[in-house]
Amino acid sequence: MKIIAFVNNKGGVGKTTCSKIMAEYLSKVKKMSVLGIDFDPQCNFSHQYLQMEIDPVAPEGLIPPIHPDYNPEDLEEMDWEGRSSIAEIFYGQGVVPYPTYIENLDLAPGHAERLLAAESVRKTEVVEKVHKQLANFLNSEDVRAAYDAVIIDTAPSKGPLTISVMKAATDIVIPSVMEEQPVQGIYGMLQLWMQESLIREKSRPLNLVGILPNMFKQTRLHKDLLNSLQGNPAINRYILPVKLNQRIVYAEVDSEEANPRSIFDFPDDHIAKKEALEAYQHIAERIYS
Amino acid sequence: MTKKKRFGVSTALTRGLSETIHVVENNSGTFRNVVLPLSRIELDPDNPRKLALNLTDVRIGLNKQDPLYNQKLGELERLKELMATIQSSGVINPIVVYKRGELYRVVAGERRCLASILASKHEIDARVFNEKPRGFELKLVQWIENTAREDLTLDERIENVRDLLREYQQQNNPTEVTASLLRELTGLSLPQATYYVVVLNAPADLKAAISKSEIRSLDKAAILAGIEREDLRQQAIEACIKGSSLKELRQMISQQRDLSKKQKQISLQDKQTRSLSRRVNMGSTGQVAVVKEIVDAILGQARYQKYVPIFSAIDWAHVKHSALAFRQLVDILERELVGQI
Ligand SMILES: Nc1ncnc2c1ncn2[C@@H]1O[C@H](COP(=O)(O)OP(=O)(O)O)[C@@H](O)[C@H]1O
Ligand SMILES: [Mg+2]
Repeated sequence: MKIIAFVNNKGGVGKTTCSKIMAEYLSKVKKMSVLGIDFDPQCNFSHQYLQMEIDPVAPEGLIPPIHPDYNPEDLEEMDWEGRSSIAEIFYGQGVVPYPTYIENLDLAPGHAERLLAAESVRKTEVVEKVHKQLANFLNSEDVRAAYDAVIIDTAPSKGPLTISVMKAATDIVIPSVMEEQPVQGIYGMLQLWMQESLIREKSRPLNLVGILPNMFKQTRLHKDLLNSLQGNPAINRYILPVKLNQRIVYAEVDSEEANPRSIFDFPDDHIAKKEALEAYQHIAERIYS
Repeated sequence: MTKKKRFGVSTALTRGLSETIHVVENNSGTFRNVVLPLSRIELDPDNPRKLALNLTDVRIGLNKQDPLYNQKLGELERLKELMATIQSSGVINPIVVYKRGELYRVVAGERRCLASILASKHEIDARVFNEKPRGFELKLVQWIENTAREDLTLDERIENVRDLLREYQQQNNPTEVTASLLRELTGLSLPQATYYVVVLNAPADLKAAISKSEIRSLDKAAILAGIEREDLRQQAIEACIKGSSLKELRQMISQQRDLSKKQKQISLQDKQTRSLSRRVNMGSTGQVAVVKEIVDAILGQARYQKYVPIFSAIDWAHVKHSALAFRQLVDILERELVGQI
């Protein structure tokens, strides 16, 4: 089971968009059984597939909706209030993934307040628990039996949440806009990759799939920055030879009213679909070969 | 023609990115993190010990009969702070060990081990090398993990750099230790690397102050190391220990420098220093034509004809070539005239 995470400590570079396309590529195109995980307190990834609700306790945050399988009459579920987020792993509770409108795609949504709580722990012992918890969950028999692949969308941070993703992942992709600050975000992620790589057993390395240029525009800034990164042989090994251009349709499919809602439901000759297919085919090859 | 603006990733960032990639590519899976019982830890006797304190001392207490009793008592006192943080929040950074039979030998983290035992802990987080560490890689990995630590003393940092360079020299051909070599190996900034190189070669009095942790700042140490006169340096070291700022130290040194310059001029007139009278400085010039003129004038003499071929390959447009040629000419003249080699 591959555990693929999209990371960059800069926000707005396309982590959520790229996670979404990956989840849909593997489930719709490759017909794999996929679990999406939203590890960002902002819960954008969850909101793509579920009707997230406003947290009555913390109105600026979102919580998952009532689970479709929840039955309040069921005595066995007495101690469950009917919602389940990935953050339950930090509270010793079971995670119940939600089905989505995509057949092979389940989702373990975020929970703003609980993820934020995990992100803000400082005490060493607690930090370490947070670090290990996601890996423990994904290593469990149940998860491994149910899914072929796990796609994790992450928070724009280098904190405990992102570190726990680094510890759990088999593969990471760093989406980045070819601009100064996002490129600095790449450095932050390489640092985490290094820290994790040094302590991992050789037999299960953390594979850096590569840096995926996103929202690419044919401007001098974008082209020069990409060239500049490609000019260094070491860095160039990790710049993916595919990219996603800046296209309004990637943003449009985010909307609930959009039709179709997946880039892969467009006609085969649609330029964005062709681009996404080419890019993700390459990424999948790097991961699965 | 309009000049187009070029954008690029800064050299610092490019270097950071590529170095990080190299570290991962060359060092992946070097060690793993585990929790070890402190009872299975042993200190490394091959490591030059900085502490007199040993495991027995912290496990069962100091022995008043011990000839090192007083020194150990002081060390114990200084470990208290670390002990307190370990009590409240554990060791922040795992120690580094490798497995040796039943025990784990400490590569980095002696103080953390001792303080953990003092804090009545039974376990400690450790990074265990999966394979027997090779000298330079080991030091480099230690260095990388140490850069993230704040509890390292200046002395430990310097030691770290020294070990790293020694291992590098052993594994590669011995090369001159320069700031740029150090920078290449560690990713330090050039000024930082320069400071380290200066401090590595610091005079004994300064080294002593550093190892007693009386001086904790690298840039201050580097400034102090640059003071040649012993009495002046001693004064500055004392001022630094008393808490002088970097700026104050700089001022103090520049005042002293002005003073000593004056003194030097006076003493020169006084003694007509011996060293000067033994050798003649032949002067210097940036004009290569002058050098060629002198060389030609001498080679023109019948006696020196035989040396002409030696100079035929000289590129006289080149300052460096010309300088070498002149040096060679002086050698030849010394040999011919005085029989010196
Ligand atoms: N290739 C693209 N072209 C156009 N818009 C994009 C593209 N990628 C992402 N976006 C839009 O940019 C915004 C930020 O992207 P998002 O995936 O949310 O970034 P992150 O998760 O890193 O914060 C979103 O509104 C998204 O729809
Ligand atoms: Mg996002």
